[in-house]
Amino acid sequence: MQSARGGAGLLRRAQSLAALLGILILAIVISPTASDGSRIFLQAGNLTDILRQVSLIGIISLSMTFVILTGGIDLSVGSILALATALVAMFLTRGYTTHIAVAILAAVAAAALAGALNGAVVAFTGIQPFIVTLASMIGVRGLAKWLTNNQNIDIGFGKDLASEFAAIFREKAIVIGAYALVAAMFWVVLARTVFGRHVRAVGDNEKAAEYAGLPIRATKIWVYTLSGLFTGFAGVLYAAENHQGNPNAGVAYELDAIAAVVIGGTRLSGGKGSISGTIIGTLIIGVLTNMLRLNNVDSNVEMMIKAVIIVLAVAVQRERNGT
Amino acid sequence: MKRQSWISLGLGGALLLSGCGVEGKKQFVVAFSQANNAEPYRAAQNVFLAKLLAQQPDVKLVISDAQQDNSKQVAQVETFIRQKPDLLIVAPNERAALTAVMGQAMEAKIPVICLERDILQPNYTTYVHSDNVAIGRLAGQFIVDHLTKKYGTPQGNIVAIRGLLGVEGEINRDRGAKEVFDKYPEIKIVADPVADWIQAKAKDRMTEVLRAQPKIDVVYGHNDPMAIGAYLAAKELGREKEMIFVGVDGLGGQAGGIRKVMDGILAATFVYPLCVDKAVEVGNRILHEPAFKPEKDYLLESVMVTPENAAQMYQQFTLPGMH
Amino acid sequence: MSAYLQTVGITKYYGGVCALKGANFDLRAGEVHALVGENGAGKSTLARILAGSTRADGGTISLRGEPVEIATPLDGQRLGIGIIYQELDLFPNLTVGENIVIGNLHFAEGRTVNFRRMEEFCRPFLDQVGLACGIRQTVATLSIGQMQLLAIARALSMDARIILMDEPTSSLFEDAAERLFGLIASLKHRGVSIVYVSHKMDEIFRVCDRATVLRDGETVGTVELAGAGVNDLIRMMVGRELQFAARAARRPAGETILAAENLTTSKIKNVSFELRRGEVLGIAGLVGSGRSELGAALFGIDRIESGTLRMQGGSIAPRSPRDAMTSGIGLLPEDRRLQGLMMRMSVLENATLAVLTEISGLGFIHRGQEFSVVAPVARRLELNCPSTSAPVSQLSGGNQQKVLLARWLLLNPSVLFLDDPTRGIDIGAKHDIYRLIDQLASDGKAIILVSSELPELLRCCDRILVLNEGRVTAHYDAGDATQEKIMSAATNAEVRT
Repeated sequence: MQSARGGAGLLRRAQSLAALLGILILAIVISPTASDGSRIFLQAGNLTDILRQVSLIGIISLSMTFVILTGGIDLSVGSILALATALVAMFLTRGYTTHIAVAILAAVAAAALAGALNGAVVAFTGIQPFIVTLASMIGVRGLAKWLTNNQNIDIGFGKDLASEFAAIFREKAIVIGAYALVAAMFWVVLARTVFGRHVRAVGDNEKAAEYAGLPIRATKIWVYTLSGLFTGFAGVLYAAENHQGNPNAGVAYELDAIAAVVIGGTRLSGGKGSISGTIIGTLIIGVLTNMLRLNNVDSNVEMMIKAVIIVLAVAVQRERNGT
Repeated sequence: MKRQSWISLGLGGALLLSGCGVEGKKQFVVAFSQANNAEPYRAAQNVFLAKLLAQQPDVKLVISDAQQDNSKQVAQVETFIRQKPDLLIVAPNERAALTAVMGQAMEAKIPVICLERDILQPNYTTYVHSDNVAIGRLAGQFIVDHLTKKYGTPQGNIVAIRGLLGVEGEINRDRGAKEVFDKYPEIKIVADPVADWIQAKAKDRMTEVLRAQPKIDVVYGHNDPMAIGAYLAAKELGREKEMIFVGVDGLGGQAGGIRKVMDGILAATFVYPLCVDKAVEVGNRILHEPAFKPEKDYLLESVMVTPENAAQMYQQFTLPGMH
Repeated sequence: MSAYLQTVGITKYYGGVCALKGANFDLRAGEVHALVGENGAGKSTLARILAGSTRADGGTISLRGEPVEIATPLDGQRLGIGIIYQELDLFPNLTVGENIVIGNLHFAEGRTVNFRRMEEFCRPFLDQVGLACGIRQTVATLSIGQMQLLAIARALSMDARIILMDEPTSSLFEDAAERLFGLIASLKHRGVSIVYVSHKMDEIFRVCDRATVLRDGETVGTVELAGAGVNDLIRMMVGRELQFAARAARRPAGETILAAENLTTSKIKNVSFELRRGEVLGIAGLVGSGRSELGAALFGIDRIESGTLRMQGGSIAPRSPRDAMTSGIGLLPEDRRLQGLMMRMSVLENATLAVLTEISGLGFIHRGQEFSVVAPVARRLELNCPSTSAPVSQLSGGNQQKVLLARWLLLNPSVLFLDDPTRGIDIGAKHDIYRLIDQLASDGKAIILVSSELPELLRCCDRILVLNEGRVTAHYDAGDATQEKIMSAATNAEVRT
């Protein structure tokens, strides 16, 4: 064997990074200027805006990466997010607890439970994840609507527990910090732990994983549980940002999360992908959207451009990878 | 790597074409964050606003569409804030979600007009709206009168079709009507499904209600599209003669509620002013008169449309360019 | 005789890797021409280029003197070139008939599926290759050997004038291989040319007229086989001579470690045997006779319906590969791509996959330890790869197999079931594996070796079990066994000792 590529993965990540840099440069170049001559895009406030705006979907994309790496998919994340917003708002505004932490815990635990249920059904029945999570997407949404009587639960701006919660958890620094922390965690787990290896192995070749004695069922249950858990956390942040528990929140969020994962180079067939790729994919979408908005591109044109980018990103990466 | 540069070039070209022009002389920039272009009422707002401002060459109007997504609208307003428009008009998607970001706009010293729907805190320069409670009462009274005429006493079954629950218009059109209904114990609301202001959803919800309810006298749609959707559902099941349909909005044009009253589909509708003309009037003064201090609140009145005055109302409220 | 097909100076690069850098090859009408070379020499690549599944980067191909472009497999089909791949390219979820008929320019498709027409078209070719199965049978239910026969039937149905066969007998037992040689002879008689890519010297000398030797992507030379000897070819392939080493004297076998009594699953019936430490037990039999299925029973994949299995005296009933591994049984599967390797993971990751708990703490893998634990094993196996972080998909078949073996060496089970470990592997790597089996036996491991090559069984094993339709029909000591005896036990249901 002649040439040694230090891992096809590294090359792919370099490509996504190049794409991100390309879009960044473009955004800077076409950025409108403010009255003081500075480029609006580069203003610290704008850049942190972008980070904040991608954080929620970003967190969901991270756990979605693990699910997709096992060859599965989780379509229920939007509904789980709604459930979590509803629960945290309920706990805080109806006096079920006097501690913010308990409310957050309740929401995240319920979300994790929903995820675990997804995982158990996928692992034990062998039904395709697409179908299982499609069903729970509908079911969990129904649960959220039922619990709240299909009403929003508003969080005010006063001095009560709920408002306090919102004031803390909608802070840009907290939201961006949370995303960074979760990203670092997932990166480490995938690259350095036994569990991370198992996730990739199961997605790469499940039959061979069986022959190697890997705990396939446990691995699958865990990835869906984590997906639920972190989506629940994203839901808590949503409730703080939007000052509401909303049983109708999160519609189509699963598609945004999957888009970020796919643009970042992870294959939907499983086994191939990385956390850094997903982060880059998330940032590409964020910068692109911000760039289009700053230049007042029509919102509907924005959607079309995003669609083109997704297809282009996947096409470019497929050709490079050859056989 | 070559492909990346092509993508960037292509994007750049597309953007230049989509007209992010560079201004020469002093232009006022008015940014309008619309909640959802897909609703006819809002589409009409957009048309009207564009028309009014087109008459003023020194004003540039930019409209963004949040497609009923709170997070999207928050992000769009954040981006507008970065661009420092001379006037920001916001039609909030939901009360709680948009409150904080409009506060940020105020803090950035941008004049903010809150259009038609309110928020949790008075984070705006002025609030232009109509009295939805009054409209609710008018509608309620119309329905009570109709039922009294039908049965001799005030009794009957009502189906209320509701819009987005977190919205002031929904809350108040509901409350106003209920104020009237509560006085008559024999008048019952037998179902109140939520259709998010959208005609297609209302048709589906009404179909479900029709299967469950043997006897319906009145359908009170909280906006015209939903009332029309309910009518279509009833027509499909052959029950449209059994009940009357009442809506709110009273837009002109072929697709609007006034036409439907003329065609006999709606028994009545209530003109809900677009609020845009008042907003433009106040907005212009804010832009051109530095010393002007607007009222905190501008209340606009509604008119009831019934078959008697429908033709005349149609003339009055149909603007060229409406469909 | 002028060349029917000729290639001059073919070059091919896969990314930065050069697979061919000047392959010259000519084929006469009605000849059987062998393409030989070690793995990585470029034989399969050249075959693919001729069949149109990949395009050459440089060089020319001419057919009957006229230069031709072979850009796609359909081009190949139209020019009358058919190929049977080593890693079969059948559709496992479709039926036998559909596999033959799809994309076949010789089968006029109507608008609806007509089973009678399909049967009429397919049956003669299925008969020619000796495949007795219905056209409605799903391919996934066939064994690898049967799938290979199907691939050959398909090529024949496309009326190819040139058929490229890439390791065609790699999973065929003697009787089927014989049938194939008969087929080749009749095709040759009809004027069809065959390009025979293979490692098996005895077959090449038996069946082929000429042989072209490739080494490192270049043509070393073409010889008329009538006047040449095996060592000549091997010398050209490798640059040195290789002897078939005689089986080293082995230590006397130790205590019985594994004993099966009347083991029955849905696929095997009443199989009994004993296995001692330091012993190599061979399993011979026709395609579909239950050899791999015996492994599936021992490894917990198939459920044991009756009979007992005892490991070191204690009774075991493994219900999953994990159970089997805990009991000390390992299995190297028949198909390393489908059942063995994670193609997108690296050499290192594949090798350590089963022992991660031992090289990690609190769930975190100790990278240094991982590397230091694999290095000696890789050396022992003479594993050849650009680096241990290279994805296994880049390795040759022989080296891929070594990675799988590395996984098992690290796990160190007492009993190792090797299912056709040298299938599709070049001579050099084969010998490495034989040596490894010897070493493992000397170290006191118990090995069960399934193979389709009798010489291999005779070379490696102490005793040989012969299976026929799921039952043991004969049991020989290696010294007593001959190819004829084994062959007749494999085809005859009578039990012999």
